[in-house]
Amino acid sequence: MSEPYLFFHGITKRFGDTEVVAPFFDLKIAHNEFVVFLGPSGCGKTTLMRMVGGLEMPTTGQILLEGELAGPPDRRRGMVFQSYSSFPWLTLAENVAYGMRYRGDLSAEEKRERCSHYLEMVGLADFADAYPNRVSGGMRQRVAIARTLAAGSEVLLMDEPFGALDAQRRERLQAELRKIHRRDAKTVVFVTHDVEEAVFLADRIIVFSRRPARMLADLDVLSILGPDRPISLRDEERFFRLRTEVLQMVRAAAGDDE
Amino acid sequence: MSDQTAAIDIPAVQTEPRQKPVEAPNENGAGGGMFAFRAALPQRIEAAIAVGWCLVLLLAWEVSVRMGWVSSLFFPPPSIVLTRLWEMTAHEDLIYQAGVSTLRVWMAFGVSALMAVPIGIVMSSYRVVGAALEPVIDFIRYLPVPALVPLSIIWLGVGEETKIFLLWLGTFFQLVLLIADDARRAPHEYIEIAFTVGAKPRHILTDVCFRSMLPSMFDSFRITLGWCWTYLIIAEIVAADSGLGFVIWTARRYMHTADVMAGVVAIGIIGLVTDQILRRMHKRLFRYL
Repeated sequence: MSEPYLFFHGITKRFGDTEVVAPFFDLKIAHNEFVVFLGPSGCGKTTLMRMVGGLEMPTTGQILLEGELAGPPDRRRGMVFQSYSSFPWLTLAENVAYGMRYRGDLSAEEKRERCSHYLEMVGLADFADAYPNRVSGGMRQRVAIARTLAAGSEVLLMDEPFGALDAQRRERLQAELRKIHRRDAKTVVFVTHDVEEAVFLADRIIVFSRRPARMLADLDVLSILGPDRPISLRDEERFFRLRTEVLQMVRAAAGDDE
Repeated sequence: MSDQTAAIDIPAVQTEPRQKPVEAPNENGAGGGMFAFRAALPQRIEAAIAVGWCLVLLLAWEVSVRMGWVSSLFFPPPSIVLTRLWEMTAHEDLIYQAGVSTLRVWMAFGVSALMAVPIGIVMSSYRVVGAALEPVIDFIRYLPVPALVPLSIIWLGVGEETKIFLLWLGTFFQLVLLIADDARRAPHEYIEIAFTVGAKPRHILTDVCFRSMLPSMFDSFRITLGWCWTYLIIAEIVAADSGLGFVIWTARRYMHTADVMAGVVAIGIIGLVTDQILRRMHKRLFRYL
């Protein structure tokens, strides 16, 4: 196999005496793959994802992006957080434009075009001049996604981005995120503890144990559900069969030292 | 298992009309009218009660003096205090004295703020600086300003510098810690978002930390400005020949109690008006909140 796009190589992570990621974590992620890290809260999956962004350093091992050390944060790896995901003092358009603020390679004209392009893509063109406190939580998350796309991030790191949304908004946003991924292919590492969300979104699910994080399973969802994920997928037999399967796996993982 | 789920027929629930509209209970379930526990009060009633009680207290004061229950030498009634306030404003130099005091307060406060903002931000951004400065600042912060009057006279004499210095002493050390706290409270997510769109630390300091702390910094200013006024009297008692503190202190010497009270009221009014203006500005400046 040719060299992996994103490579977790022999990772361990300790905070003081607490082992967060058990030795030695290895994972290869392909270009444009949508990978979901699924595991109980506080298991260390977020820490692993943050390492990709350069926001956390592994105690041992390396994160390689296209064969090179990922290193300190830059705009190739964009973050979408659950809360505080956009700046309240900027309008939605300004928030998206913020993704390009430190890019010297784009002219002002290009920046404006990209800004409206991505606002359009996430369906917020009509709210360009609104401040985040005036729009719904779902819209704020869309802004954050648009910002990382505008920044030109190749890897999207998403830390339970829809965790604070109500069920309907969440479903809609999940379907949209899949669509965006189809249209504007990016490698995504998406962290969640919600099984249904994981199954719906993922090309591939990595199931984690409780802390210290260990990989329990590596599930190929793409070959079962295919790349297109309309909202109606949730009503299909194959969807909830898979969901039940994963759910049982996660339950077993959560209970393994209780 | 799952094919069973698909076959379940959910019987439609009969929707029957409500028998009778349930009487809307008081907000907290129990009755109690105006005295309901933790219940909201209409704004108009709240304002009326606030103003009403002030009037009642003033009236009680007025009546007790007029009836001779308390001496008007010690407690001149509100009517006389207000009359004096008016006379001092219209015919004497109260406006000028208030101006002098306001200028002093704002100068000292301005110097404090100009110093506290950069130092506070650097303290919270670099632990090395914070660790070095915090103990010193905490120590000085707890020194009562009056205790430093003799020292400041030895150092600076009895001129304008001493007054500004005392006011600065009272505000800078408080403000710098408040600012450091405000800066520290910038959510970590904001900083990480900035890093992951390619910002450098200096960008983050100005574009993210400073920007996100502005509203709380404004509040810190508003609070310390109030403290600055409390130190004003102390500063102006130190051999001053102008300012509201001087007016009050001089009036005391001649037992002009009404003038003393008028001076105090003047400070209160200035404080109230300033605070209201700053609150409005806050609302206007930070509409996005």
